[in-house]
Amino acid sequence: MSFFKDRNCYLKNYNLTLLDKIRRFNYKYLFLVCLVVMIGISLLYSAGNGNWDPWADRQFMRFLLSLSLLFVVSFINLRFWMKYAYIIYGAGILLLIGVALFGHVGMGAQRWLNLGFIHVQPSEVMKIALVIALARYFHGAGNEEVRSIKFMIPPILMMLIPVLLILEQPDLGTAMMLVFASVGIFFVVGVQIWKFVAVMGVGALSIPILWTFLHDYQKKRVLTFLDPERDPLGAGYHIIQSKITLGSGGIFGKGFMEGTQSRLNFLPEKQTDFIFTVLGEEFGLIGSYFLILLYVLIIAYGFYIAIKSSSFFGKLLAIGLTINFSLYVFINMGMVMGLLPVVGVPLPLVSYGGTAMLTLFVGFGLIESVFINREMIIGRRGSIDDK
Amino acid sequence: MSVWRFDKTRLMHQRIAMLGVVFVCLILILMGRVFYLQILQGDKYMQLAEKNRISIRLTPPARGNIYDRNGLKLAENIKTFQAVLIKEHAQDINQVLENFQKLIPLDSDEVERIRKEIKFKRAFMPVRIKDNLSFEEMSLIQLNAPDLMGIQIEEGMTRYYRFKEDSTHVVGYVSLLTEKDMEDDPENPLLDLPGYRIGRTGIEQSMDDILKGTPGIRKTEVNAYGRSVRVLEEKKPINGQDITLTIDSRLQSFATELLKNEGASAILANVQTGEILMLVSAPAFDPNLFTAPISVKNWNQILNNEKKPLQNKAISGTYSPGSIFKPIVALAGLESKKLYENQEVFCGGRLKSGNQFFHCWKRAGHGHLKMTEALMHSCDIFFYEIAPEIGADKIIQMAQKLGFGSLTGIELRGERTGILPSEQWKQKTFKEGWRTGDTINLSIGQGYLTVTPIQILKVITQIANGGKEISLHLIKDASKDRPISDLGLNPYHLRLIKRGLSMVVNQKKGTAYNSRFEIDGKTMAGKTASTQVRRISLKEREEGVKSQEELPWKYRDHAMFAGFTPVNNPKYAVAVVVEHGGGGAKKAAPIASKILQEALRLDKLDALQNRLERR
Repeated sequence: MSFFKDRNCYLKNYNLTLLDKIRRFNYKYLFLVCLVVMIGISLLYSAGNGNWDPWADRQFMRFLLSLSLLFVVSFINLRFWMKYAYIIYGAGILLLIGVALFGHVGMGAQRWLNLGFIHVQPSEVMKIALVIALARYFHGAGNEEVRSIKFMIPPILMMLIPVLLILEQPDLGTAMMLVFASVGIFFVVGVQIWKFVAVMGVGALSIPILWTFLHDYQKKRVLTFLDPERDPLGAGYHIIQSKITLGSGGIFGKGFMEGTQSRLNFLPEKQTDFIFTVLGEEFGLIGSYFLILLYVLIIAYGFYIAIKSSSFFGKLLAIGLTINFSLYVFINMGMVMGLLPVVGVPLPLVSYGGTAMLTLFVGFGLIESVFINREMIIGRRGSIDDK
Repeated sequence: MSVWRFDKTRLMHQRIAMLGVVFVCLILILMGRVFYLQILQGDKYMQLAEKNRISIRLTPPARGNIYDRNGLKLAENIKTFQAVLIKEHAQDINQVLENFQKLIPLDSDEVERIRKEIKFKRAFMPVRIKDNLSFEEMSLIQLNAPDLMGIQIEEGMTRYYRFKEDSTHVVGYVSLLTEKDMEDDPENPLLDLPGYRIGRTGIEQSMDDILKGTPGIRKTEVNAYGRSVRVLEEKKPINGQDITLTIDSRLQSFATELLKNEGASAILANVQTGEILMLVSAPAFDPNLFTAPISVKNWNQILNNEKKPLQNKAISGTYSPGSIFKPIVALAGLESKKLYENQEVFCGGRLKSGNQFFHCWKRAGHGHLKMTEALMHSCDIFFYEIAPEIGADKIIQMAQKLGFGSLTGIELRGERTGILPSEQWKQKTFKEGWRTGDTINLSIGQGYLTVTPIQILKVITQIANGGKEISLHLIKDASKDRPISDLGLNPYHLRLIKRGLSMVVNQKKGTAYNSRFEIDGKTMAGKTASTQVRRISLKEREEGVKSQEELPWKYRDHAMFAGFTPVNNPKYAVAVVVEHGGGGAKKAAPIASKILQEALRLDKLDALQNRLERR
């Protein structure tokens, strides 16, 4: 196969210059991401009753910061992430332990760590670190290895340690996302489907036991989700008003900045988790479907890049981060539409909030990096020449 | 490319494809849900959003005023001032309330209500602290404003009845809503208005629909906290219409003063037009007591009064008419040609019918009497003798023709019909046939017959005006001032009756001679009645009937008088009933006489004033 030979010749000296990287960068993908961010900023402008202050302007600054970070990350050599994968993961775990010990309490949960110059949310760091570490772990694994239960013990532990630490904070939403992302990676690397079915069965049976471990507020959220009218002015208020806001948009919506539900504050915290309803109210079905379409394109691009990548590390990194992004979309939308309980997952790139945006952009930076280095072949143990 | 790598790539791409399928399904679920919420349920949620957003408040209309015939306000709206507390403006609510109570003490019940309202109302909604502030209280609050942060003085409206108890039973009163009103008419949006009052009695009640007006609507956009953001639509209220009555408040006050210690009623009408110039039922009460929630003490006082101040006796008191009925019997006789002008009847003091004795009020008897003399003396035997001749049905027909046994249609609620007995009526009610004794009882207005004072007035009015049917009315309406029809009575017969009635007052032996008057040649005619409220037993009669003053109040006779003035060309008719007043001649006739004199005097006064003004 001359095609491969030629490539291999080239790849042996795989050293892209900065100019090469800029040329190979996927601008269409970045454009889609930026378009969603812009929609988000205009919704925040509307949610602020036509003011840049207090949300739209800050979100814009964060966008600029995140964008520069995206470029930095995407230009770093893919091998770097491969090489330091476990160290990054270890650092993430340390931060989580740190937050458990010295963390900042906010909104009833201990999620923030003050590093002096910056507040970090280690659970967000972990969303990326876990994907990198798992990608590294499964990079060199053959199909047979993956089928053995023994081989699967370390990655499961790699997932469970941060999940338990995050549940302790407590942050059910993020923990769930880590579990789903890991399971997604396990699925993609070829763990037998019956195993998933078995675990799901066991999981379903153990729901009553898990129920007792849930915090009261978490139980309340689930109960309220099942029956919002239980407490229409308290916990159920959000779900009811969220559906009203979304549903009242109709086909074309009430028009930009004309959403009565959001303008008159019937939906508290509309700028964060419930921003999708503002879009639905002001732009109707057309606007909702347009945003969903953009998300579908971004996800499809992630899949495309994963398939394009020659290295398994790259494939897994791209697919893992794309699953992560999709989870944001599914959980948040399911939540505001009353299909899932309110678990506090923002709408990616749209909801007001800096940490999520930074994490997402680092993720997109890594996916770009996979795309830039799509022809790079990484050996089983990370070397160039090893096949 | 090694085999493991090839296999792994194939498996991984397979799995990625499967994952893609799962994702497509999830996306389709989301899109389906958006479609369901926004399109299928869109209208429902749109309505819910509008309900969230729009608050509809009613603005109360001003109630129409009620005027008397001279343009004086009988009922009007006056401004009141109330102290309210707005929670969000107060820093320390308890302190403010304490400071307020130091200046103006509040009932402990009130304090409890205020605290409750403060708890449940939104921070910017006013909570009523005290109604009907006096001028002193207002200045106290204003002087101490720094200690009373959050307390504001708001303007309101309340109903005021300037003439107090003088026109209570005509004008009526309004009062705040009770829970029962809300239950009776839950759809009426006006009932939600704080301070909204509805008419309870009198014209206020019967003309409530005209007086109340139509509320305005104020649609505002409110935010999640209920605060009004902007006005979307405003419709001004349409104020209630004013009503002018035929009442003369001067006569009202005059009669109220005359009757103030009695359980009585007095009504005066213009015999030509049917306008009621005066309608008084005593005792009355101050209607202003009811516009604010009435205190328990006042309420019990009104309720426990044995003379029943709440009852409008003029339209709902029913009495045996007694001797006032005699002119009707005479008229029935004349009209049916069973009685002639000069027919004489001998009165020996008593009459035997079957095995029953019927007595004249005068034991010695009146001797030989003509009809007019019988009226003058109010002789019973005369009517006992002629009534069976005439026949009960003729008498009843005449009574019905003149207005007994049916409502006069006056614009007040609670008017009663009384009882006009007949053969069928007796059969139906007692399963007994009509006897001659019944006719004899009927002939002097006793027995089953009961009538209301307003019916008595109607009858005397129609006799006075020469047999023209009029409609008695309280609300000024020129179309009602014309007689409805002619009753078809022989004018000569009516003149005979009127001559008899004049003799009652103006002949020395007439029963009401002591109440006679003459103003510019104008005199009064009328008929007295004293009706028993208990049976006089044979034993008592033999021992000698006790005088009325010796009896306890509630056993005394009802005193009545119905009359008109001037005798020639009558203008005013009056009916007076004093419950347990003793004798009609002694008690009711003087009152009627004074009222008629006052009406004539006021006529003269008004004429004089008109002449002065024209100059």
